[in-house]
Amino acid sequence: MNGHAPRYAGPRDLLEVDLTTRTWRRSALGDDVFADALGGVGLAVRLIDERVRGPLDPLAPENPIVVAAGPFASTPVPAANKHALATISPLTGLLNEGLSSSHFSAVLRRCGLAAIAITGAADAWTMLVIDGDRIAFEDASDLRGRSARETTKAVRERFADRSVRVCAIGVAGERGVRFASVENDGRQAGRGGTGAVFGAKRLKAIALRGRGDVPVADAAATASLAAGLRARALGPKTAKYRVLGTGANLRVLQRMGQLPTRNFTAAQFEGAERVTPERAREEKDAYTELRAGCAGCPVQCEHMYVRTARDRRTAAASEYESVWAFGPNCGVDDLDAVLDAIARCDALGLDTISTGGAIAFAMECAERGLAARDAFGPELRFGNGAVLVPAIDAIATRRGFGDVLADGVRAAAARIGGGAERFAMHCKGLELPGYEPRTLPTYALGLATCTRGACHNRAATYDKDLRNPSSVADDAARANDAIEAEDRAVAWDSLVLCKFVRDCFDDFETEAAALWSAVAGLPLDGAMLRSIAQRTWERKRAINARLGWTPADDTLPARLFDDAVAAGPHAGRRIDRAGLRALQSAYEARRTVRRDQVAMRSSASTAAALRP
Amino acid sequence: MTVELFGMARALAGASHVELAVDEPVTLREFVRSLADSVPELVPDVIAPERDAFVEPNLLLLDGRRAPSGDDTFGSADRPCVLFLASGG
Repeated sequence: MNGHAPRYAGPRDLLEVDLTTRTWRRSALGDDVFADALGGVGLAVRLIDERVRGPLDPLAPENPIVVAAGPFASTPVPAANKHALATISPLTGLLNEGLSSSHFSAVLRRCGLAAIAITGAADAWTMLVIDGDRIAFEDASDLRGRSARETTKAVRERFADRSVRVCAIGVAGERGVRFASVENDGRQAGRGGTGAVFGAKRLKAIALRGRGDVPVADAAATASLAAGLRARALGPKTAKYRVLGTGANLRVLQRMGQLPTRNFTAAQFEGAERVTPERAREEKDAYTELRAGCAGCPVQCEHMYVRTARDRRTAAASEYESVWAFGPNCGVDDLDAVLDAIARCDALGLDTISTGGAIAFAMECAERGLAARDAFGPELRFGNGAVLVPAIDAIATRRGFGDVLADGVRAAAARIGGGAERFAMHCKGLELPGYEPRTLPTYALGLATCTRGACHNRAATYDKDLRNPSSVADDAARANDAIEAEDRAVAWDSLVLCKFVRDCFDDFETEAAALWSAVAGLPLDGAMLRSIAQRTWERKRAINARLGWTPADDTLPARLFDDAVAAGPHAGRRIDRAGLRALQSAYEARRTVRRDQVAMRSSASTAAALRP
Repeated sequence: MTVELFGMARALAGASHVELAVDEPVTLREFVRSLADSVPELVPDVIAPERDAFVEPNLLLLDGRRAPSGDDTFGSADRPCVLFLASGG
């Protein structure tokens, strides 16, 4: 010990950008900010909290976009080149904090930045360029209409430098589709419509070039801890991601009777076997498998497939949620149609879960006579894979009925009328992911309370339900499980570590805190990490409350209460309204208690962290 | 005893199900050891090297719905499934 106060070792600059005035300011964040929020989602939420003081139109210039680097990005820590993207969602009107990853995250820190906060709106299509210390607003009119991949290629040609890293929106973001994504390095921040906020600001892309050092506080300890995590991340705990990818969930959930089918009208899909990505992997003559992953990640989880006879560049990612959204949820059992739909979404810059949810909703509308069956050309009905790509194109370009769906199922149901809201499957406006809430009670609670809406990654409460579906837990136990899952997700997303290595820790909080301390140089232990996570979760809810959220918004789609699961091992299951209310009461009682604990602990922890 | 395999277990075994020659009913520990003996490819990615437990989050669910615990015993009629779930990211 040298007697000096510990100092945050990593890049600490905040770049504040006003697109309206084309001005910027760069300043250093204090140690207290990192001790309070770590980085990633924690930092992004804190910066949004400082900028959103009341209700706002998410597509108005004052809505901020915050890009916050993960504190392990560009260090030896594996599975950690990640960043958070936070804004107010045009889909939910509430806080939306997404994650993306790979080279862009690393180069953000090599530019000396911890975060970027963007407000205002440009008067013409613009690219924000951060070239080391140089900041520029470049004309992006020639990039309009291009995909993120095409944009990246064009920007690199403009710079004559392949090392330039780019995040960009596609056509859907330009047209204001409220579930448009932002893409970098082939990875998407998909959910909640951050791409539409980019589009409203006429911000086509952010280009980064940086070669600065990213210092760590204790290089030897960091190297040792990172090597241990890397070794575990190459072991059996992540074999499923390396060998199969998340697409393997489809067969499992089908067997368990937990696979939402045809817009949640059933929980088993008779065509599941035909549409599982494992089929493509097993049919080696018919399909070519390509592997990909984030920079610096030993897992390389992405498994992409393409018909062997076709151009390999058209290979589509086969993540479970995407395959589910266009397969079982649309009743489509044609794997090629599903893969084409996923690739089309990526090319146009659309979130696959919400797009699949919107099309499934439209299919049900058409079957009930609430929408034209020829709205997209091929017949709009469950099971027709031929309608997927035409529907996606219409949504991305806001053409015809696609314009109605482009605002998400909640808004679409309000426009369509005729009782369509009864089968609009969303929470707070965000379309549901691919797990059956009627059979997973803790997950159902997590969906209802999630500050982001129906997000499975901010409340991975399905884990315990799925590991023992027949367990009988009381409300207090389920409430505790949900709170722990939410808070732990905040910790993961603030560090930011990929959740695919979550089984590689024996004691996550203690080990992750030691890793952060070695990298960042500030004190952190497991209890402090838990406090930071709880405090960040409270900030999320406080932001939402300022935006107009009330406890009544923490509910589930009407279908989950009113319609029982039609067939399969869980036939007859539905969610009891009074039961959910009781569960929420148990949850809120515990959240209140923890709020008090966090208030006491956080002030003490921050003071301790900064004490000389 | 017929055992349904999913995910990693299925990929490593190269089959959607296997037949175990065991005296039913069995406990979970007996089941895991028998499965490791019948399909050694499952060690160590699905079954721990000690051959007495699954590597999390691989698990056994009976009929895809119920996790046996402790000294619970089960047989073919309970339709054992070895599976895992993968999500997050």
